[in-house]
Amino acid sequence: MIRLRCFAASARQVRARCFAASARPGHFLTFVSFVSFVSFASLVSVVARAQIPSDAWPTYHGDYTGRRFSTLKQINTTNVKNLTLAWVYRLNTSRAAAIVGGEGPETPPPGGTTPSIKSTPLMLNGILYFSVPDHVYALDVRTGREVWHYAWKTRGGDHIGNRGVGILGNWLYFLTPDNYFVSLDVATGKERWHHEIANMKREYFSTNAPMVIGRQIIIGVGGDALDIPGYLESRDPESGNLVWRWNTTPRAGEANTNSWPDEDSMAHGGGMPWIPGTYDPELNLYYFGTGNPQPVLAGFSRAGDNLYTCTIVALNPNTGKMVWYYQVTPHDTHDWDAAQTPILIDGDFNGRPRKMVAQASRNGHYFLLDRATGEHLLTTKYLDSLNWTKGINAKGQPAHDPAKDASVPGTLVSPDTNGGTNWPPPSFNPETGLLYFGTRQGFSVMYLTDTDGKPQGWAAAERNVAVVGNALKAVDYKTGQVKWSRPLAMGPAGSTGGPMGLLSTSGGLLFGNDGANNFVAYDASSGKPLWHAGLGATTSNGPQTFTVDGRQFIVVGAGDTLYAFALQP
Amino acid sequence: MKQDRNRRARRDRRAIIFSACFAICAVFFLSGVTDAQQQALTPVTDQAAVDRGKALLVEQCGFCHGANARGGSGGPDLTRSVVVQEDEGGKQLGAFLRVGRPDRGMPKFDLPDAQMSDLAAFLHSAIYLNANRRLYKILDIVVGDPKAGQAYFSGAGRCSGCHSPTGDLKGVGAKYEPTVLQGRLLVPRGRPGGSGPPAGPLYMEKTAIKVTVTLPSGESATGGLVRLTDFDVILYDTAAGRVRSFLRNGDVPKVVVTDPLQAHVDHLTKWTDTEMHNMTAYLASLK
Repeated sequence: MIRLRCFAASARQVRARCFAASARPGHFLTFVSFVSFVSFASLVSVVARAQIPSDAWPTYHGDYTGRRFSTLKQINTTNVKNLTLAWVYRLNTSRAAAIVGGEGPETPPPGGTTPSIKSTPLMLNGILYFSVPDHVYALDVRTGREVWHYAWKTRGGDHIGNRGVGILGNWLYFLTPDNYFVSLDVATGKERWHHEIANMKREYFSTNAPMVIGRQIIIGVGGDALDIPGYLESRDPESGNLVWRWNTTPRAGEANTNSWPDEDSMAHGGGMPWIPGTYDPELNLYYFGTGNPQPVLAGFSRAGDNLYTCTIVALNPNTGKMVWYYQVTPHDTHDWDAAQTPILIDGDFNGRPRKMVAQASRNGHYFLLDRATGEHLLTTKYLDSLNWTKGINAKGQPAHDPAKDASVPGTLVSPDTNGGTNWPPPSFNPETGLLYFGTRQGFSVMYLTDTDGKPQGWAAAERNVAVVGNALKAVDYKTGQVKWSRPLAMGPAGSTGGPMGLLSTSGGLLFGNDGANNFVAYDASSGKPLWHAGLGATTSNGPQTFTVDGRQFIVVGAGDTLYAFALQP
Repeated sequence: MKQDRNRRARRDRRAIIFSACFAICAVFFLSGVTDAQQQALTPVTDQAAVDRGKALLVEQCGFCHGANARGGSGGPDLTRSVVVQEDEGGKQLGAFLRVGRPDRGMPKFDLPDAQMSDLAAFLHSAIYLNANRRLYKILDIVVGDPKAGQAYFSGAGRCSGCHSPTGDLKGVGAKYEPTVLQGRLLVPRGRPGGSGPPAGPLYMEKTAIKVTVTLPSGESATGGLVRLTDFDVILYDTAAGRVRSFLRNGDVPKVVVTDPLQAHVDHLTKWTDTEMHNMTAYLASLK
């Protein structure tokens, strides 16, 4: 059995956050006060928990471990067949009744599409807080009723998605596609301030969910159309001012500059920290994965390993200083960022207990590291079709095969640029010892289009030719071997679905999708589907769970709609 | 992140192609393009200004910064320059050029506003084209050896078992542009990209994946697969001439999937890129 560690600091922060939020009533004074009273009464149990609280979801992953595992078991393998809809909330993007902020024009830029919910809502004191690009919502968790809606007037930028919000005390934090760091009053949705953190004219856009660690609000930038540098920042929770910045590629005079040919390629080398990371309070280390190097599909102007792109990084959240790193794809040339969740696992490895971090990475491999030191423990291949490496090197890294780089007449590569998996949050269940993630097995031809000695941007085109054998997989964390694999749905041209947000529980369940609009409860041990609901779209965020008034809820987003499920009372 | 984009691109295409029927049918093979993206930058529409700006750049800046502005003998890449990228219509660029950076060997250039604007138009156009991968042009991909391709066709590739250069592949080199030809060589599913709107849903195509559903009563239905999940199967029943759906409960009803392109799918893990290039050259020669 795997040893569970008590995240004492995490629990303290949860309590402080919840208490502060509940102490400040807003527009819905009576309503909020009521839920605050009820929730505060149960906060004692939050503090005692070693992981995701039973009656709250205070961070992007629910806790700091990234496991997305809940000890709740009111809903379990026996009764999940009776799970039923509690409420539905469809996105309201109208500014008519919203609190409006932002620097953009009154009329939104043309070309906007209906946003998809990719954020995992935070749930505190009976209120769900979540975001899509340019919008933040507070919903009553019992009814799905909108409590407040904040709408941002955008100047533009890529509106591809938003991972969510962070909350510290009375204040909520989020990022916008046009790169503003915004703080709102949790109780009312009223804006406190906003700061520009990057220039969208350089094709920066921001999608990350702010990560709250103590007094640090950790955020990152995104962007991959131009050869721009990536960085992670900590901002002051009161002023929003910069506390520290960590560049994802070294600067002149720093260590590991020899992994780049020159200063110019290094300073334009990408490495975006797209996704919120995980945190170990005992080691005081923040773990996150960095994005791919730039130019994306052409590596000949950036010879070398290109540190710290496609890398799992551990840094001190107080100082922003890196403690260790492990690069999962040296010299990537296929757009396979390493932004996938670095999941914290406490358990045995080779007969002795260890503190570990695991990642099912976009490049088609599973990695297990010692999270105190970064020592490599295990690498395995989880995707059958993978054809781009020369094998695994002495450090456990997939060895780059230059023959599989994009070429003018075309190079057939698998996986395609989507990778074997992608950003949607995986789940690790300490009771089964299995790491669950959705996989996609694509084949593409990659064509080098920019033959200049200094290619730029993507520098190549991709034509997808097939997607076959997509599956939901469960990997034994100790061996890296696939314990079970459940094929996903098929259409007339091949597999559908692939990477998906997942949640596992002590009820023996794994919540995910089937790649074709069904939200599914799988048996976590075998992968057998036990319950499903056909939704309006394939689920688009990480499912979550908590109890409200003693009733366990499962909440998930699918496209423009948030769904809540529970057993009939 | 790119997965998000690809999903959106597929959704957009679905809306057009399957507007009245089963949107879940995957259609990403129809065009094969997976790189749609949304950007902050907008195209420079005044091509004459771009052309004037390019001439100006070559004449005034090219020696140090290169004729394509990506850097030259000592001068940095202007398309990666923060000053240029953040410039609006030549305003900030003009202010910079009129002062220069004499301490770093960059002389001042006191050009008229109109020329500053032209120079900015060229640079912003170049940056836009770098950033927008939808606009990248695939180069000449027919570089393989057609004779080696022909040998592979009737030899190791085992293509001649199903195909003939004088039968189904007659004139195929004239019918498709090389990138489409190469894609269809690998997996010829559905209609080729860019050949106009499809005549019908993908499950009606002869290359669609097929399924046979057999009920406990012995009744069965066979046809193009619309959708198969753990909980339901939908197909176009060829004999009945209509779409039918069945709920699934474990192994009931019995479902057997066949892919008319299975040989192509199996071959995806066997191709070498050289074989693929040679076969492309051979098929391109079948005019």
